Amino acid sequence: MAHVTPLTLVLAASIAIGAAAAILAWRARPEPGAVPLVGLLAGQSWWSTCLIFQLRAPDAAGKLLWTELAWFGVVAIPVSWLLFALEYTGRDRYVTPRTVAALAVVPAATVALALSGQYHDLLYAETVTGSGGVVSVEQGGPWYWVVAGYTYLLGVLGMVPLVGLITSDAVAFRGQGAALLAGLFAPWLTNAGYLAGVVPTLGVDPTPVGFAVSGVLFLGALTRFRLFGVSPAPNTRARQLVFDRMQEGAVVVDSNDYVVDLNESGASLLETDPVDALGRAATDVVPEYDRLPDDGALDGHLDLADGAYDVTVTRIDNARGNPIGRVLTFHDVSELLRQQQRLTVLNRVLRHNVRTETNLIHGYADRLGDGPDVERVKARAARIEELGEKGRDAIATFEAGRGAVDGAPLADLIDEALATVREAHPQVAVDVEGAATDAHVATHLDIVLENLVENAAEHNAGEQRHVWVDASVGDGRATVTVADDGPGIDQYELGVLRGGTETPLEHGSGLGLWVVRWGVEVAGGEVRFAERTGGGTAVTVEVPVLEDEGPATERDAGPA
Amino acid sequence: MSSKTRELFAPANGTVRWYHSLVAALTRAGDRATDALLYSSAYLVVIAMVEVATVMFALGLPPSPAPLVVGLVAFAVYAGDRVADVDTDAATDPAQAAFVRRHETALSVLSAAAYGLAIAIAVFGGPDALAITLFPGAMWVLYATDSLGEVGARVRRLKDVLVVNSVVVAGAWAVALLFVPLAFADAPVTATGAVVFGYFFLDTFVNTEIPNVADVEGDREIGVRTLPVVFGVRRTRHVLYGLDLALVAFLVVAYVRGALSFALAAAAVAGLGYALVLAALVGRTDRDRLLGVAGEAKHLLVLGLAVAFVTL
Repeated sequence: MAHVTPLTLVLAASIAIGAAAAILAWRARPEPGAVPLVGLLAGQSWWSTCLIFQLRAPDAAGKLLWTELAWFGVVAIPVSWLLFALEYTGRDRYVTPRTVAALAVVPAATVALALSGQYHDLLYAETVTGSGGVVSVEQGGPWYWVVAGYTYLLGVLGMVPLVGLITSDAVAFRGQGAALLAGLFAPWLTNAGYLAGVVPTLGVDPTPVGFAVSGVLFLGALTRFRLFGVSPAPNTRARQLVFDRMQEGAVVVDSNDYVVDLNESGASLLETDPVDALGRAATDVVPEYDRLPDDGALDGHLDLADGAYDVTVTRIDNARGNPIGRVLTFHDVSELLRQQQRLTVLNRVLRHNVRTETNLIHGYADRLGDGPDVERVKARAARIEELGEKGRDAIATFEAGRGAVDGAPLADLIDEALATVREAHPQVAVDVEGAATDAHVATHLDIVLENLVENAAEHNAGEQRHVWVDASVGDGRATVTVADDGPGIDQYELGVLRGGTETPLEHGSGLGLWVVRWGVEVAGGEVRFAERTGGGTAVTVEVPVLEDEGPATERDAGPA
Repeated sequence: MSSKTRELFAPANGTVRWYHSLVAALTRAGDRATDALLYSSAYLVVIAMVEVATVMFALGLPPSPAPLVVGLVAFAVYAGDRVADVDTDAATDPAQAAFVRRHETALSVLSAAAYGLAIAIAVFGGPDALAITLFPGAMWVLYATDSLGEVGARVRRLKDVLVVNSVVVAGAWAVALLFVPLAFADAPVTATGAVVFGYFFLDTFVNTEIPNVADVEGDREIGVRTLPVVFGVRRTRHVLYGLDLALVAFLVVAYVRGALSFALAAAAVAGLGYALVLAALVGRTDRDRLLGVAGEAKHLLVLGLAVAFVTL
């Protein structure tokens, strides 16, 4: 049994703590960073172990053997540290067999040189055995300084990603990062002090003792800060994953207009290989690049090989607010444009062709003379023309939703709608209570209001037909209720309307209510249907007031 | 009658009430301590230390930290195993699984700390002691986890393989029990040492299979092939009889050939008689846990008898 000294007790403590932490880290697999941390802690424990064996060895050859074997642990530590930092912070894409092999070249060479030390002076130029039986490097050979520099380099490289944890918003991550960095600094500072000769160590390299401190801190990070229970590893990957997999194409350019990143969709729509595109001038990769604004949306579309795209440019600023690059996002609007073309054709058909045909039907019917059948034909022709008008209303509504929303005073829109209906249905009493308001709402709501009032007036078979219109404005919203004393809207029709879609078997009887719903949706509002007290229907439309069109005022409540 | 007596005396005598509440509190504390000792495997520390002490007694080795090292390793391995297998144990031993879940973090940290401490102490015994101390842990990794599968090796975990599972457990402990004290004493392996190794190897094998009878349903579900799973409880009992009897013969031969003292041989044979009684109860009692602990406790009997025979 070895003679127990304070030094060996401290070394034994570092072994106990390091081994315990290594076991806990081993159990945490497959959490990111667990396996490299096991390597680091095992390396630290082995180094301390070899130091104790070195003290215990009975002769100089034995002491030298354990000094040489200690290198297995010494060189495992920095490699494990870097791999741990990369894995733990989500940069595991760098942790490949090739990377590990490359990082292990210097350590492997060091161990080989250590084990063959009797044949050269590359690692040790001179070693001495102190009075305590400790073999120490009196003068390092050239490779000694190579491996020392390599160790410090990997140590610094490992620290870089962990600095991000310290600045994290999450307290747990800050605690983890701080504990890990302190755990790294303890042995590093100890080793630096030993190399500089400022720490009185009686010939013993105290670095493994410094690692005892590391063991405590890493163990604390494992338990107190739930090192592997709350892992930031997915963060980096998640952001990259969202960027890579987003449906919109995205290209990142630097301040000199060179492509520095692009996602899968971006590479596909620009018909380029991501590897080729990176580092090339953006003008060579993105067609009509000079048309793009510095910041904001491109005016018009960008026509690429597989379609048309809306392009939005977002400026990237650094912490001091200086621009360092831009993100270009490409949104495919090909389908939208195709629909727009279809609507244009449909609009022309409804506007000209249907009206022309119904006029011809009217003309031919007149030539047939009078009679109930002729009147019936004329009525059906009028119905067809009416449907055409509704169709045009619907198209006008969709057109309104494609561009910026124009505003008009709500009072004017109501007046227009009432004037049309009063002309078409003079027998219906239309009551509007309250003063006119200058609050502005979307201009295309004239179609909505006209359809609502027209429906209220038309679908009413009573002797005394009434329509009430009530408008009010408040909290940035304009509310218009159109009520009637008719038979009410069929529940089946309302059900289809609320469902939002029709099928061949389940559909409404016309277009008017659809025009109301679509128009209100385009205006950013909502429509509600209710029974009016005393019979009939009350339809309420609520839409946002356009802010830059003057202060909102309120109309008096109506009777509905 | 007795309850009436309590009614008469209790209101008048505060000391009696205090006595009863103290007894109740002590009973509860005792139950909790027993649960903690059994469910955490802490009792195995004592058993393992007694086994190492038996080895040191048999081989005439000087005092050393070897019993402590092996005791800590036993606790670390078995407590770690309890934590690792808590999900599968829930079906066969819900009380133990509940205890382990409640104290999972503490057990995990304590078992890791125990192994770390054992390694640190073993370092003072030299490289051999360190290597042997690491051996049961390495075996446990191969035994209980798919570590080889993780590195691409097409090897099943040893716990699932018939006979190999118990051979690994028995081998790991027999190596630790014999070679850790030898390494600390820097002593060579003798004929007595070989006999001791054989005894502990077979004995641990038997003690490993006894609790497998209780776990037969759970083991079958998770694909662990033990003797009771493959051959049934009755044939397993026969196998255990055979092994214990073979061990008796082995000890008698060792004594006749002078590799074992009379005191040790007699104590071990007496212990095996006790083990045969336990083997007869396998599959015939509902108190499976008690049966397993009784099997482990045999080593207390053996050491006690050996010391008694020598002293007398």
